[in-house]
Amino acid sequence: MTVYETDVPGVGKKFEVEIGSDERLVVLLHHDGKREVFHKPDPDADAERLVTLSGQLAREVGAILQGAYFQPVETDEVEVPLGEAVIEWLDVGQESDLAGQTLGEANLRQRTGVSVIAIQRGSDTVPNPGPGETITAGDILVTLGTREELAEFEALVESDDS
Amino acid sequence: MAELLLEVGIALTAVALAGALANRVGLSVIPAYIVVGILVGPNPPSSVLGVSLNLVSDSEFIQVLAELGIVFLLFFLGLEFSVDQLLRDRGRISAAGGVDFAVNFGLGVAIGLLFGWTLLETLFLAGVVYISSSAVITKSLIEEGWIANDESGPILGTLVFEDILIAVYLAILSAVAGGGDLESAAISVGTAFLFLGGLTAIAWYGSGWLDRFFRTSSDELFILRIVGVTTLVAGAALALGVSEAVAAFFLGTGISQTAHVERIEHIVAPARDIFAAVFFFSIGLTTDVTLIAGVAVLLAVAVVATTVGKFLSGTFSGRFYGLDRRRSLRVGLGLVPRGEFSLVIATLAAGIGTGRLASVLPAFTVGYVLVMSVLGSILIQQADTITDVLGPSSG
Repeated sequence: MTVYETDVPGVGKKFEVEIGSDERLVVLLHHDGKREVFHKPDPDADAERLVTLSGQLAREVGAILQGAYFQPVETDEVEVPLGEAVIEWLDVGQESDLAGQTLGEANLRQRTGVSVIAIQRGSDTVPNPGPGETITAGDILVTLGTREELAEFEALVESDDS
Repeated sequence: MAELLLEVGIALTAVALAGALANRVGLSVIPAYIVVGILVGPNPPSSVLGVSLNLVSDSEFIQVLAELGIVFLLFFLGLEFSVDQLLRDRGRISAAGGVDFAVNFGLGVAIGLLFGWTLLETLFLAGVVYISSSAVITKSLIEEGWIANDESGPILGTLVFEDILIAVYLAILSAVAGGGDLESAAISVGTAFLFLGGLTAIAWYGSGWLDRFFRTSSDELFILRIVGVTTLVAGAALALGVSEAVAAFFLGTGISQTAHVERIEHIVAPARDIFAAVFFFSIGLTTDVTLIAGVAVLLAVAVVATTVGKFLSGTFSGRFYGLDRRRSLRVGLGLVPRGEFSLVIATLAAGIGTGRLASVLPAFTVGYVLVMSVLGSILIQQADTITDVLGPSSG
């Protein structure tokens, strides 16, 4: 695919995109943000104006073409499948006193109500870790709990002996 | 103060209405601004059905706004002047532009001499009929969709060539016309080149500094800096006897090397539009239509000759760019409109010249631009009919 770029004085920029052997798409970018798209079926044909878009509309259409368009979701209306619970990723720091303990020793679920549902260790992931699994510094704990429980849990992870 | 404010209010409202009307009927706004200026101005027609139409006088305030219109038209011309494009495509652009200049400037010189004008007057006349209107042409190109076709190449290329040529032309002519004898003319040409050379040097070597100077997060501070510096440079140029329009053009090309071009197009262009509209309006204010009637023969000759001239030189340029017959004819028709730069040249002439330059040339130019801007737009709109009439389209 070749793209030809030309300045159009007083207007903006013109891009010609080869989309087939002879077919071209011509995009005119105005300084005021307006975009015009023309289609030229073959070199001898006159360009046909397909669409004129405002800057905002053009960006949305562009995102759709790119496959990167997501409809924004109203957070109030989202149904949370976990009820009150959320999933959070927590780093275990070098100073954390959890480091070196097994999940069983740390007794996290009893103390805070939070479940550790997986541990990410470097490029490895330990899914559904058992009570014998040792937490090491640098681990990322994937945790499930309510916001209050997680706040308490976070304090515990960050605390050290001193 | 009340009277002046009311006049300016009437002027701006009249311009707004004229623009809306021109837009409705699909014509360029430039002739509409001029006509409305003639209507409400001090010259005839001064009343209609017993109601006075002498609403707006040619006050100093309007003159200053109009002057800013010239300055910012040329500033943007410089800003949008693409040095890269000119260098990249210099072979074809200079061929198309060279033919365009030789034919149309040459025709202007021939007409001037034929009507017994002096050399200086003839050179001004040639400039007026030579330069096409970027504003009318680009607008038509977009409306007709030609901008996406191959014919836009030679049309825009020719306009780029005309831009650089008109800057040089204005610089030399304003310097020469200002001085009387050879010695003072040489001094004023020297001053012009020193001033513009200095401006170019600052723009070229100080682009980093310029870039930092205009960098601010506030749009308000930004437009103030651009408008302030541009007006100051133009004013300083004029005080030194250098064309303010050319100084603004050079400043524009200098700033086009910085990262601020996009932002100027967004934020300063509206200011340019207001000033330019008042400039066209004030041309109307100062125009005496009875004077236009006096140059009717010259006008008729110039309209016919220079329409044909642009058509032929443009068609040649199209052929030179390797376009087929139909598209080459479109290039010819597309370059016919004349507009803002012809008026800038005439205003310069009126400002520094005497005799014919001060009265006949401005009147001629107004009549010429009124005809050519409208005729040019119509020729572009009817291009397909015209090329069909001229013969069957072939490959």
